[in-house]
Amino acid sequence: MSGLVPLTVRELKKWVRNPVFLLTGLIQPFFWLALFGSAIDLTKFLGAGLPPGVSPSAIFGGASNYITFILGGILVITSLFTAMFSGVNIIFDRRMGPMGRFLTSPIRRSSIVFSKILAAMVRILVQVVILIAAAFIIPNGLVLAHGFSFEAVLVLVVTVILVALIFSSIFSVIAVRLKDMNTIFGIVNLVNLPLLFMSYAMFPAGIMATWLADAAKYNPVSWAAESIRTVVINGTVTASQVSNVEWWMGSLAILAAGLVLLTYFVAENEIRE
Amino acid sequence: MAVIIKTENLSKTYSGKIKAIDSINIEIDEGEVYGLLGPNGAGKSTTINLLTTRITPTTGTALVNGFDIRKHSMDVRKSIGVVPQDLTTDEDLTGYENLMMVSRFYDVPKDTANERIAKLLNLVDLEEAAGRYVKQYSGGMRKRLELIVGLVHDPKILFLDEPTLGLDVQTRTQMWEYVRDIQKKLNVTIILTSHYLEEVDALANRISIIDHGKILITGTPEDLKSSLKGDIVQMTFKSQEDADVMKQFPQATETKDFGPNIVRVTVKNSDEVLPSLINYVSEKKLTIIRMTVQKPSLDEVFLQYTGRDIRQEDAGDVRKMMMNMRRMRR
Repeated sequence: MSGLVPLTVRELKKWVRNPVFLLTGLIQPFFWLALFGSAIDLTKFLGAGLPPGVSPSAIFGGASNYITFILGGILVITSLFTAMFSGVNIIFDRRMGPMGRFLTSPIRRSSIVFSKILAAMVRILVQVVILIAAAFIIPNGLVLAHGFSFEAVLVLVVTVILVALIFSSIFSVIAVRLKDMNTIFGIVNLVNLPLLFMSYAMFPAGIMATWLADAAKYNPVSWAAESIRTVVINGTVTASQVSNVEWWMGSLAILAAGLVLLTYFVAENEIRE
Repeated sequence: MAVIIKTENLSKTYSGKIKAIDSINIEIDEGEVYGLLGPNGAGKSTTINLLTTRITPTTGTALVNGFDIRKHSMDVRKSIGVVPQDLTTDEDLTGYENLMMVSRFYDVPKDTANERIAKLLNLVDLEEAAGRYVKQYSGGMRKRLELIVGLVHDPKILFLDEPTLGLDVQTRTQMWEYVRDIQKKLNVTIILTSHYLEEVDALANRISIIDHGKILITGTPEDLKSSLKGDIVQMTFKSQEDADVMKQFPQATETKDFGPNIVRVTVKNSDEVLPSLINYVSEKKLTIIRMTVQKPSLDEVFLQYTGRDIRQEDAGDVRKMMMNMRRMRR
């Protein structure tokens, strides 16, 4: 009697039935890609200032245009944003009443929280598919060196899911005892800029201030964006790149596992009305 | 009849000192409708929350359907249905989807669930509204839905916490009919809390009056009324001296101070005793400012045991009622 399946189905029904929620969630990442991704033309941006013989794409890890470079970052950011708001529904359930029903039902209390995390992951994966399709369609869009390999897709999907787990867990733990959703919105607003810009999601280390590039090394958002970027841009990867991706993804997996465990214990013991 | 709920010195203390429930011992028989009557903050909801395992007791425990609420909360939850004070259905789902979701919480097989849901919807006349979103329901419809959500797993015990709070008088009497119907057709034990005397009088066959976390008296409505030992004459005098003299009235079976210069005198039969009471008053030269005679009623029982008029409590409910109404209207 976990309650996980019926509760996740409920979350997804609510998502699909709210057209504004559904569409904004799908359109917003597309704006990131179309506006931010197209805003910077690599050759204009770096061309004049580069030493002779160095091509702009070298700075961007071999990406032939900025959209190709930024796609990994945008997938991670989309996952991050959707995940950060998954905790809000816990507070909604508490304020609107369903929490009272859940707590007197013979279901695992953690399933209340994990249903939100699972539903967020489904939403994120749908957004990812749409984003990649959009990246191909827009003019001067995504260019893949060798197309998608099975491994590349696997790395992409797993990375996005790990990011979703990490951030939805953190924000669910915060939401478990909260009564006021404004607190969550406040925290999201506070942390999203540093998470975003203190990472390699938008810009490569090579054009960052040294202190920022150093700090960004420790940001999980960087690990995730770089993992996706490495496999998407290069198609086939060198041994050193493989070990980099393994290192980043391993760290993400350990972090995610720890946070999921923490969420489980907090939800089982601390969830209240 | 078998005892289905038994509490053993059940207590709940908040923040180390506020005793919400103070060593309560009650026994509830299978098949009865048991009413817990008390003003706001008396401990009704805390008692329900303890018995339904929403909170854990500070000391003492209770057996619900034979299961200890401390050690076997999952088994307790499977045996009981709960209709909490606040609305719990999801507005963005249909009535049917709400019922189906809760059925799945209890692992009810799909066919059984469908069968049961059809029967329950019929019981509260919601068959036609079942496919509509709950946000389109009226206040009364939503309360009816709440009533049957707690029954999808065919529980042995149903807890109703203030089932008609915030409803208008007509809808309230309608709800009573539904509750009676449910009790009769499903043969379920019902534990009801309310601060509406009429509600408890209409539905319950046994009542406990609770105040300040303590059970003051338990019995059938008739028992409680006859426990008053007669009619009550309440008099306000000009001075406390006069009031004290009144307490010496020889035919009184009981006298009680009831505020400054106010005395309540219990007499066997007010129709016969009143003339001699008037004589006593003029003989002793007492000045009465106000005088009322009350035949035994649940109101009087409540007043006698809690020292408060239950109707004064209604004002405090307005805020909660408004909140519920607002939610229902959206």
